[in-house]
Amino acid sequence: MARVKFLCDVDRCIDCSGCVVACKEGNHVPVGVNRRRVITLDQGKPGEKSISVSCMHCADAPCIAVCPVDAIYQRADGIVLVNKKTCIGCGYCFMACPFGAPQFPKGNVFGARGAMDKCTFCAGGPEEDFSAEEKHLYGQNRIAEGKVPLCAGMCATKALLAGDADIVADVYRERVFQRGSGVNAWGWSKAYKE
Amino acid sequence: MQRLVHSVFLLTLFLVAGIATVASAQEGGALAGVAAGSSADYFHNLIGVVTGNWQEYGQLFTFLQGEWFWKIFLAIITVVPTVFFLHYMIIGAKHFDHDGPQIYFFSLYARIVHFVAAISFSLLVVTGLMIIFGSFLGGGSLIRLARYTHLVSAIVFALPCVMMFMMWLKDMLPQLHDIKWMFILGGYLSKKKVPVPAAKFNAGQKMYFWFAIFGGGVMAFTGYIIWGMGADIETVRLLTIIHNVLGMGIVAFYLTHVYMSVFAIAGSLESIKTGYKPKEEVDILHSLHKYE
Repeated sequence: MARVKFLCDVDRCIDCSGCVVACKEGNHVPVGVNRRRVITLDQGKPGEKSISVSCMHCADAPCIAVCPVDAIYQRADGIVLVNKKTCIGCGYCFMACPFGAPQFPKGNVFGARGAMDKCTFCAGGPEEDFSAEEKHLYGQNRIAEGKVPLCAGMCATKALLAGDADIVADVYRERVFQRGSGVNAWGWSKAYKE
Repeated sequence: MQRLVHSVFLLTLFLVAGIATVASAQEGGALAGVAAGSSADYFHNLIGVVTGNWQEYGQLFTFLQGEWFWKIFLAIITVVPTVFFLHYMIIGAKHFDHDGPQIYFFSLYARIVHFVAAISFSLLVVTGLMIIFGSFLGGGSLIRLARYTHLVSAIVFALPCVMMFMMWLKDMLPQLHDIKWMFILGGYLSKKKVPVPAAKFNAGQKMYFWFAIFGGGVMAFTGYIIWGMGADIETVRLLTIIHNVLGMGIVAFYLTHVYMSVFAIAGSLESIKTGYKPKEEVDILHSLHKYE
């Protein structure tokens, strides 16, 4: 299978936060954890821009490099996943991540962080596909069902693209060509530089 | 005169520690300003809002934690014991007459404080290493337990740390003869029983003391921030690097202390349990000790 990527077109994102709500609701993400969020700069001023940010599923992911217990791994299609049963909640992945993707629910002992939670590209986790355990720990496994991630599927303006990297790039290139403005898909130079 | 020198030395130490703390706190409070400009500026500002200046410490942290920290720790916990093992085989332990006159060296109070410190400090070192080598142990609940134990041990260690500081401060102040001790490495490179220039504590013990007290203070502060992510992300990254690097020194000193007390001087472990040291041992290894 080809490599999958996210792309958020900042010229289309209107800060509706539909992606955030879709992700949180569809995956039953714990309180205090946001796998995806929308950030707006220069709000109310000319040139205001918004972008939807989550785990970028980087090519050379820093989180995998720093994890002391090897709880994070990358699938052949590029999706980066965490094994919540191995994770110790140390927070190193959060320190290493350039996108602030890893999130931590409050644990029970001494205010310790619980196991890390982040965007799964709606591909579940290391548990058996469609098992109750997978759904409970990681949310839906839409990739195994042949669907795009919830956030991208829900995006009203189709600013958020997700899927096969070549197709995503083609769609974006076409848009940029038609608009005649806006280059450099946000985060790509950082996440997929290789 | 000597008292004055001691006071000035201490005051300087406190001032340096204080300035360092304030400087790091101010650095933490600064937030990246968001300004309008070209699209390149926009993306630069955006990444700053998302996760701070990743290039500054994020990249460094990723490189160090991903490539180096565990390798250096592995080197320390293999090379240091190997060196000591060779020392034990080639030069061997020092033996002193335990049947002769004994000297009361450590009060009951000192022994209890040291005992609490020893247990909690050992737990800190062991659980810290367990976290660093978590991937070899499979992670999961075992390493999670190690993290919780690390926190509890740190809280417990804080108390004897302060008590040891007040109890031994006078005896631990650096003196001129400590330099001589360093040059002959405390006489541990030969089996000959030549009186060594040291008072109640030798230069090695003093180094360990200052490293454990001040290093322990820095470890406690950085550890507390890391545990609760109690600062902005850039500060947390920097403090995590400091916590790991300082940890290397502390592990090395810890192994040294264990070797010296358990193996290098036969029977010296008894003195911290009973409080008595053989007179012969005191006369040789702590030749400048003043009898009360």
